[in-house]
Amino acid sequence: MLVDGMCYQSYNWNKYRPLGALQHVVDMLEEYHCDEIAIIRPARNNDSFSAFKHDVEVLKHINTMTPISFGGGVRDSKALHFLKDLPVERLIFSSAFIKQKIDLISEATQIFGRQAIQCLLPCAMKSKELQIFCCDNASYVPVKQLDQKIIDEYANEVVIYDLLNEGEVDSFDFSLLDQFSFSRQKIVVSGGIGSNSIGEANRQQLASVLVDNKVLHSEYSIKGYKHAAKL
Amino acid sequence: MSVDIIDIGSGNICSIKNWLERVNIQVHIINHPKEASSNFLILPGVGSAGPYMQRMKQSGFDEVVLEHVANGHRLLGICLGFQIMSDYLEEDGGVEGLGILSGKVEKLPSNVSHNSWEKFVFNRSELGEQTFQSKRKLTRKRIIDGRVFYNHEYGFISQESKRFNKSICERYSQYSSMVVKGAVIGVQFHPEKSQKTGLELISMIL
Repeated sequence: MLVDGMCYQSYNWNKYRPLGALQHVVDMLEEYHCDEIAIIRPARNNDSFSAFKHDVEVLKHINTMTPISFGGGVRDSKALHFLKDLPVERLIFSSAFIKQKIDLISEATQIFGRQAIQCLLPCAMKSKELQIFCCDNASYVPVKQLDQKIIDEYANEVVIYDLLNEGEVDSFDFSLLDQFSFSRQKIVVSGGIGSNSIGEANRQQLASVLVDNKVLHSEYSIKGYKHAAKL
Repeated sequence: MSVDIIDIGSGNICSIKNWLERVNIQVHIINHPKEASSNFLILPGVGSAGPYMQRMKQSGFDEVVLEHVANGHRLLGICLGFQIMSDYLEEDGGVEGLGILSGKVEKLPSNVSHNSWEKFVFNRSELGEQTFQSKRKLTRKRIIDGRVFYNHEYGFISQESKRFNKSICERYSQYSSMVVKGAVIGVQFHPEKSQKTGLELISMIL
């Protein structure tokens, strides 16, 4: 997570553990041969363009040879154009997909290519119903309100983010996937990922996993996780 | 030595600049055709083929690239920059390429894009008659055994029968990972984001 130009590990979507400067964190992950780094701004309804601009400036100056995906706060065309010439391969949209801002996503596709578009769906089971957190409004919407066809059409990959298990180990709730009609090859899972959940993701032939914890406090985690995925 | 990178406002320029600077190469980012001066030109590419070619033509960089190749200078195309060297691209309803490399660009099967790392084993002797035209042949690494990063939805199908052509992997065997034709090199993967292997490759090429 990138907040005010600094990195944090987030737990259960509401607690932050400081990790330091972005370049420092990226350097460590590169050292551990991380395949890709996802940098997410937890932009809520009180996010401003100046805060977005500040974080993007920090991102603009990182020097890395590891692929980067970035998202959080890209809410209009102005913000989108500000992302040109970043050392970023992929863009992550969440609220834009939930609120069906097709013009914005279409424009992003034209500028960055369809291969660059990821959709992030922060999910939580609430009252036995799957709810998706819409960051833009800072509120939950039922999964049935989600237009999965549009997401399937425009998003190259869909990140299913288990909010209730974020920061935990081996607790990702795979039953969440039953609520979605996307091809398994398009799905990336995150939130509570550990060796066992990587094994399960591998069995289900998912696209990949996003490891949200342990990365920075255990040098050998990445190697162990790759072994679990038989990479 | 210095390298020119064409900037038509199509992303990832700074990643390529960082990549080259790590092997101590001076970089010039050129925004105007008249600024091109190096014998080594890089054509980066991120985005959609239609708008990309449109910007190439509007800026006059298409002529610069063709003239550069006609003069026998070295050209490296990366990802979409490689694909637009073809004769024809299927994307955006069909786009005419620069025709530098004989071949066409088609959508990958199954409507799923290829976002992944793949093994990349390459021995310079495989190039045969083709070379990277590097002046420093003896001191350069001969074998690369690593992995490279791909992020694409369309693939290059080479029709260059006598040129060096390396395929992506078993699953995408009909699509090119790297094509070398004289002074022209095209790579589908992102060497600037391929960590150690990317650095080894640029050291071998330069």
